[in-house]
Amino acid sequence: MKLQTKLTLFNTVSKLVIVLLFVALLPTLIKTINLSFTDSRLKREREKVLEDIQKKGIEEYMPNGQAYGSYTPLKEDYVSLDTASDSYFLDTIRRERRLVEGDTISYRILSYTFSVGKKDYLLEIGKSVKTIDETTGPLQNIALEVLLGMMLLTILSDLFYSNYILRPLGLIIKTKLVERKFPQFGEYKKVETSTSDFERLDVSIHEMIGDIERAFLKEREFISNASHELMTPVSILQSKIENMFDEDVTDEVKIRLLEMQRILNRLKTITKTLLLISQIENEQFLKEDSIGVSELLQDVYEEISIRLQEKNISFEAVVSDQVRFTAVNKFLLFNLFFNLVNNAIKYNKEDGNISITGREVKDGYMISVADSGIGIGAEQLPHIFNRFKKFRQSMEQDSFGLGLPIVRSIAEFHKIRIDIRSEENVGTTFDLTFPAEMITV
Amino acid sequence: MNVLIVEDEKALAGELEKFLTGNNFLCEICYNGRTASEKIGTNKYDFILIDLGLPDYDGLDLLKEAKQNDPEAACIILTARAEVYDRIKGLDMGADDYLPKPFSLLELQSRMQAITRRKFGIQHNLVNLGGFAVDLTDRTIAFGDTSVSAITKKEFDLIAYLILHKNRTLTRPQLSEHIWGSVVNDDYDSNYIDAHIKNIRKKLNVFEAPDWLETVRGLGYRITL
Repeated sequence: MKLQTKLTLFNTVSKLVIVLLFVALLPTLIKTINLSFTDSRLKREREKVLEDIQKKGIEEYMPNGQAYGSYTPLKEDYVSLDTASDSYFLDTIRRERRLVEGDTISYRILSYTFSVGKKDYLLEIGKSVKTIDETTGPLQNIALEVLLGMMLLTILSDLFYSNYILRPLGLIIKTKLVERKFPQFGEYKKVETSTSDFERLDVSIHEMIGDIERAFLKEREFISNASHELMTPVSILQSKIENMFDEDVTDEVKIRLLEMQRILNRLKTITKTLLLISQIENEQFLKEDSIGVSELLQDVYEEISIRLQEKNISFEAVVSDQVRFTAVNKFLLFNLFFNLVNNAIKYNKEDGNISITGREVKDGYMISVADSGIGIGAEQLPHIFNRFKKFRQSMEQDSFGLGLPIVRSIAEFHKIRIDIRSEENVGTTFDLTFPAEMITV
Repeated sequence: MNVLIVEDEKALAGELEKFLTGNNFLCEICYNGRTASEKIGTNKYDFILIDLGLPDYDGLDLLKEAKQNDPEAACIILTARAEVYDRIKGLDMGADDYLPKPFSLLELQSRMQAITRRKFGIQHNLVNLGGFAVDLTDRTIAFGDTSVSAITKKEFDLIAYLILHKNRTLTRPQLSEHIWGSVVNDDYDSNYIDAHIKNIRKKLNVFEAPDWLETVRGLGYRITL
């Protein structure tokens, strides 16, 4: 999950929990607030009545000792005054039910006893709680709606802000990591950001890629220099040996010269191959040729048929005569197919077969080179393109393990994708996908 | 014929001289570009072999000078700097051929012969071997009036190379280098030359035993003329 998605999700859930908690607590809160509010009003009214009594005398309310009672028209409030026995003393606020003119109504009632002269009186002030209860429901609804609205607003603003603030990170990931092929040499664009963490990340990635690039370049340079430097001494030795054949030497010496020639050839082949790979990697080849696919495969076949014959391997190539490669290097593509087919021969069985098929696919043109050979184990598959890696050691072979590295270098140079399918003792298939722009039909 | 060898590597220049002298060329050697430039300005050569990697001179400049002084001189570039653009530049500037180091002396000789043939416009280079007539220009083999069409391109290359170096034993590495020179692969010892020779003999035997194609035990093959 992406960081932004995670953040937004967490924000939404946490806010929702808080809002719901608040709304759930709202009735209790409202009740408590209302109660304390009502209670203090009741107390204020009590003080007013008591003050009135003190000023005007109890007779004002209770002429002739008659009990006093007064209601508002809808019976929301009432005040009553009565004599009380001296045996008890009251100062409470309670919720109680009262029967008033046939209706049972819940009131919040303040009861208070006091004495004027020798007599005790009980004062009751009541307020209907119905009005209080009725407001809780609507209030809860309104609160929920308002809060949800506010929550939505904050989530949206969070989203926009996080989107804005995380954009550099997205850019770093997209341009520096995802779309980057290691090692890729070229311009390095800094990602604009005011967030120091991202800046640091970007700079660190810069530095690391720089290190990798330098290491790669160094390796390339070394191979290029080493193979160049080796060419001259090899050349001298080769000429010396060739000239010695012309001198007056015995056949025995000639045979030894031939052995030297063979060994020198080995050195030459390694050096030439490494040099070729390094030249491809340093992009010293042009891609200006155009060649028909079947023509190219025919050339490869002619070059390699003697090897097929040695192992009695049948060979077939089914490709359309119309399909052509354009903007390619013919020499390199020839070597790519030569080495693939050579590989397919090397690891094939006697009387086996090799088949090459071409077909159009979604993103270009695919050529599959399939053999009926010994196959490659799954654990070896990731390493088959490594230089000097020789697998399948049990096979008798005279090579250094540079055939597939050549194939890979040429494929990368032409942006050809290689997929390998292999089953041990059944065979291996190399699927080469040529980009559409390289194909004309 | 006169050859100027411009090569700063003394040992290699020596071997080139030895080989070419043995093949009836008159050789002069320059170990640097400056003296080569002087010699080119004063003498006429049939062949100039130029190493591109000279310490004091750009080999391509030397090529330009040589071509200006004497357009008839055939220039062959020898270089360990096998960069592709050098190759294109060299051929554009009038080099007659290009040999990347390391190369076989026999390959150099055959390139020089090809240039000579081109220069003198030799139309039909016919060689008779027993009852067979080999046309090196048209690249065909005939037995009497019958064309031997079964011979493949590779097989003809082998025969032609052996004819070019007639009476000399060519080893398998030398033959391989000639016919598979443009293929880069990682096999270091191939016996496919033997298979090719076997095929050639089989195809020619239909007409007549090719006794002129000899196997030199333990060494290689030879065509005796």
